[in-house]
Amino acid sequence: MNERIIPWQPTVIAGPKQAMLVTPETAKMMLKKAKRPLFVIGPLVTGDPIMKLTMDISEHWDLPIVTTGDAYKTFGDRGIKTTRYGVVEIVNLLKDPDWKGIKGEGQHDLVMFIGCIYYIASQGLSTLKHFAPHLKTLTICKFFHSNADASFPNMNDDEWLKYLEKMKSD
Amino acid sequence: MIIVAPKDFKEDFWKSKDIKISIGDIVQDEVSGESGEPVEMGPTPKPHVTDLREWDMKLMERYEPFYAPFCDMCCLCTYGKCDLTAGKKGACGIDIKAQQARMVLLACCIGAAAHSAHARHLLEHLIEKKGNDFPIDLGMNIDIEAPIIRTLIGKAPKTLGDLREAMDYMEEQNLHLLSACHTGQEGSSVDFESKALHAGLMDNLGKEIGDIAQIVALDMPKGDENAPLVEMGMGTVDRDKPIVLCIGHNVSSGAGVIDYVEEEGLEDNVEVCGICCAAIDITRYNQHAKVIGPISKQLKFIRSGVADVIVVDEQCIRTDVLEEAKNNQAKVIATTDKMCLGLPNLTDEDADKIVAQLINNQIEGALILNSDKVGEVATKVAMQIADDRGMLKLLPDMDEIQELAKECTECGWCTRVCPNSIPIMEAVMGASEGDFSKMEALYDNDVCYTCGRCEQECERDIPIMSMMAKIGENKLKEQRFNMRAGRGPIQDVEIRKVGAPIVLGDIPGVIAFVGCTNYPEGAQDVAKMAKEFLERNYIVVTSGCGAMTIGEYRDEEGNTLYEKYSGDFDAKGLVNVGSCVSNAHIPGACIKIANIFAKKPLEGNFEEISDYILNRVGACGVAWGAYSQKAAAIATGVNRWGIPVVLGPHGTKYRRLYLGRTDKEETWQLNDMRTGNVVNGEPAPEHLLYAAENREEATVEIAKLCIRPNDTSKGRQLKLNHYIDLHKKYFGTIPEDVYKFVRVQKDIPITYKKDVMDILEEKGWEPRAIPQEPSIRDFKEEPKKKANGK
Ligand code: SF4
Ligand code: SF4
Ligand code: SF4
Repeated sequence: MNERIIPWQPTVIAGPKQAMLVTPETAKMMLKKAKRPLFVIGPLVTGDPIMKLTMDISEHWDLPIVTTGDAYKTFGDRGIKTTRYGVVEIVNLLKDPDWKGIKGEGQHDLVMFIGCIYYIASQGLSTLKHFAPHLKTLTICKFFHSNADASFPNMNDDEWLKYLEKMKSD
Repeated sequence: MIIVAPKDFKEDFWKSKDIKISIGDIVQDEVSGESGEPVEMGPTPKPHVTDLREWDMKLMERYEPFYAPFCDMCCLCTYGKCDLTAGKKGACGIDIKAQQARMVLLACCIGAAAHSAHARHLLEHLIEKKGNDFPIDLGMNIDIEAPIIRTLIGKAPKTLGDLREAMDYMEEQNLHLLSACHTGQEGSSVDFESKALHAGLMDNLGKEIGDIAQIVALDMPKGDENAPLVEMGMGTVDRDKPIVLCIGHNVSSGAGVIDYVEEEGLEDNVEVCGICCAAIDITRYNQHAKVIGPISKQLKFIRSGVADVIVVDEQCIRTDVLEEAKNNQAKVIATTDKMCLGLPNLTDEDADKIVAQLINNQIEGALILNSDKVGEVATKVAMQIADDRGMLKLLPDMDEIQELAKECTECGWCTRVCPNSIPIMEAVMGASEGDFSKMEALYDNDVCYTCGRCEQECERDIPIMSMMAKIGENKLKEQRFNMRAGRGPIQDVEIRKVGAPIVLGDIPGVIAFVGCTNYPEGAQDVAKMAKEFLERNYIVVTSGCGAMTIGEYRDEEGNTLYEKYSGDFDAKGLVNVGSCVSNAHIPGACIKIANIFAKKPLEGNFEEISDYILNRVGACGVAWGAYSQKAAAIATGVNRWGIPVVLGPHGTKYRRLYLGRTDKEETWQLNDMRTGNVVNGEPAPEHLLYAAENREEATVEIAKLCIRPNDTSKGRQLKLNHYIDLHKKYFGTIPEDVYKFVRVQKDIPITYKKDVMDILEEKGWEPRAIPQEPSIRDFKEEPKKKANGK
């Protein structure tokens, strides 16, 4: 089996439905298609270059940011205002088709994740896989997340940085 | 227990409300409160599976179950495997939600069974030793002993034999609950949840039975706030002596070893030590025993080969302990029906014969179901093999470690299979160059809890666990800590003193650190959280592996938190109640607040008590490293009593949380039982079962989860002050949701007045009524009016 698409922690494999492996190009297609995308950033994003890249990506695609864990502070310290939720709280809201979304404009239709602790993210993605047919999930960590709808493969840092660089433009 | 024969009937017997007539005996429901006055039996004595369902539904209206399926499939019957992904149902008709809830119920039943079978074994063992009529006497300061039994069974147990009634009830309930997991029984996720909550409650009951039995019969500390400090850590064991290690939870076999060592006057010749709750309970029995530490120490210590004899009883023990022991020629004695390990049952064999067979390697180990014999055999074997084992070289030396590490191909699979993805590959690579610092960093604070998954994955068979054990050997001197011996229940006099400050909010909260060691980033996080709340005047309660973990931390001055803080159940108290079964005293203390402070009768009165706790007792459980089914049952049980719990990130793998929705304002309305008004409430507590991603998030959440609708303005100020402080510390800002918790201006903490006022203005805040008797239960009659309701 292709090592790049065995879930990073192999035992999170949950069943027959597996994420689609995506390149930055496909990920960008998803963002382009989305009407109300959301960017969820976890506490593993602690410094540059990743932080800068996530900020650039969010700016380019005009993505509202939700921070989980204590990432709110990491970003706040850099002057970036985000909305803070526990990862289980934001997933709980995202699974409700009637939730009005971060801006009160309506439920999101695409949620892109980066930097959440792998196994709790995997559990949250599982919730959304089962209970949120109204949205798609995309993960751009350097780890393959089988519970997402679409995920980057397992990668080393160099390759990952290149992937993220590509996400900054159309 | 009071069973009144017909000739003794009181005059008003025939008027009493709840006359239970069963074949064979007539029981008058006469029970006593603190004053000794008879009190009326409440509506739900010995509640059956469905009797508290209405309460569960009320809880779940607010705290809807949140499911995170751990597996998309079901493989419970031969129709399966069934794929339940995204709306598909199994061949039996079950959907993914109900399946998750079923798995939660199953976990809670297993947990409740583990605690309660342990309790049953202890109870029968102790009745055999001490007699049926051995009194349950917890000393001068505890009159309301057994608050859980009183509430659920409807009477106070007076003797060991009386505990059997509660045990019988619990076992029957657990049987019904387990049966609901069978294919084609329950089909509704919320009903599975209601059953899981019942299983959790039964778990709490079983634990109380077990701990009360052992406290009274083995004369363990009875709510003693000055329980002694006991030595803890791998460095406290004298390696030159024969060593008996007890692992597990059931004190009887460890007590057997201690008794034998004392009877033979061998205290100075043999070391008796323990890992996990067995360690806590043997030190409650005898303070000369030593605590190695929590369950995270297990493989490290076994691999080190220091223990000559390993006595295993039940729960949380490595199931490959025999194989591990064989590798270093230690002997294993299994002592309970829960874990026999394929060993020959030599219970009826002569002790010296067993000793001979073990030391001559005729048998790999022995199953001995008699604690006295366990004590004799374990001690004699340890004394006879210790010298020879001392000559064995069990661990590689540092040069060898370096050579072994050079085999590493940098495949990375060790890190990938690690539950916490810790950088173990980098540590191995470092060791290959003679730099052991990375490995040491993972050894410290159990960042690596030696689960062994990496080692078995390694394509070059690098013995990573033995390397870890060797690293630990070099750090023995540092591994000397202490812990206050488990004190058991909270005294009535303490409850009288702190009841009002807790309910009114002057003591900002009671926080209980319990559970296992599946810590996401090492053990220190728990001690750091405990320290944070101790410094802020909270009452910190702990038990089990949590209590040991807290003891393993030293502050800047080199003190453990047990050295620094008293064992009082009071502000700034650090209260170690004891082992896993002692957890029962934590909801027990909350129940006693309702009873002693608020004079709520307990007997048969579960709903009223839980409603009181949910709305007025600012308690919060934290199970940061919860991994076991027991922890699932403990948390679910205390949730039913109205106590919120915060789990670590691994807690999401339990598949279910109970989360509140602050955006759904209608779910927070409260019935004010005093005025008959429906009032707008607040998200307090916001969640019932929460999982945080890291310590920082958890700390802020814990402070918030101590807020209760009943707080006075002074109490609310205090609680908000801590919440805002911690939010600033860990998130950098004043929390935006603070306006939700301000009912009137007087609730605003002075220090943050301006900031909070700004937020109130921005949010268009308006003052609202403070309920006098907040409740989520229905009014007995129709409410008078709707005030402030939207
Ligand atoms: S119990 Fe139901 S879902 Fe599970 S395998 Fe059997 S038929 Fe399938
Ligand atoms: S033994 Fe330690 S490093 Fe290895 S998988 Fe377990 S926790 Fe991770
Ligand atoms: S699994 Fe073994 S070979 Fe692979 S990186 Fe880890 S230690 Fe090296």
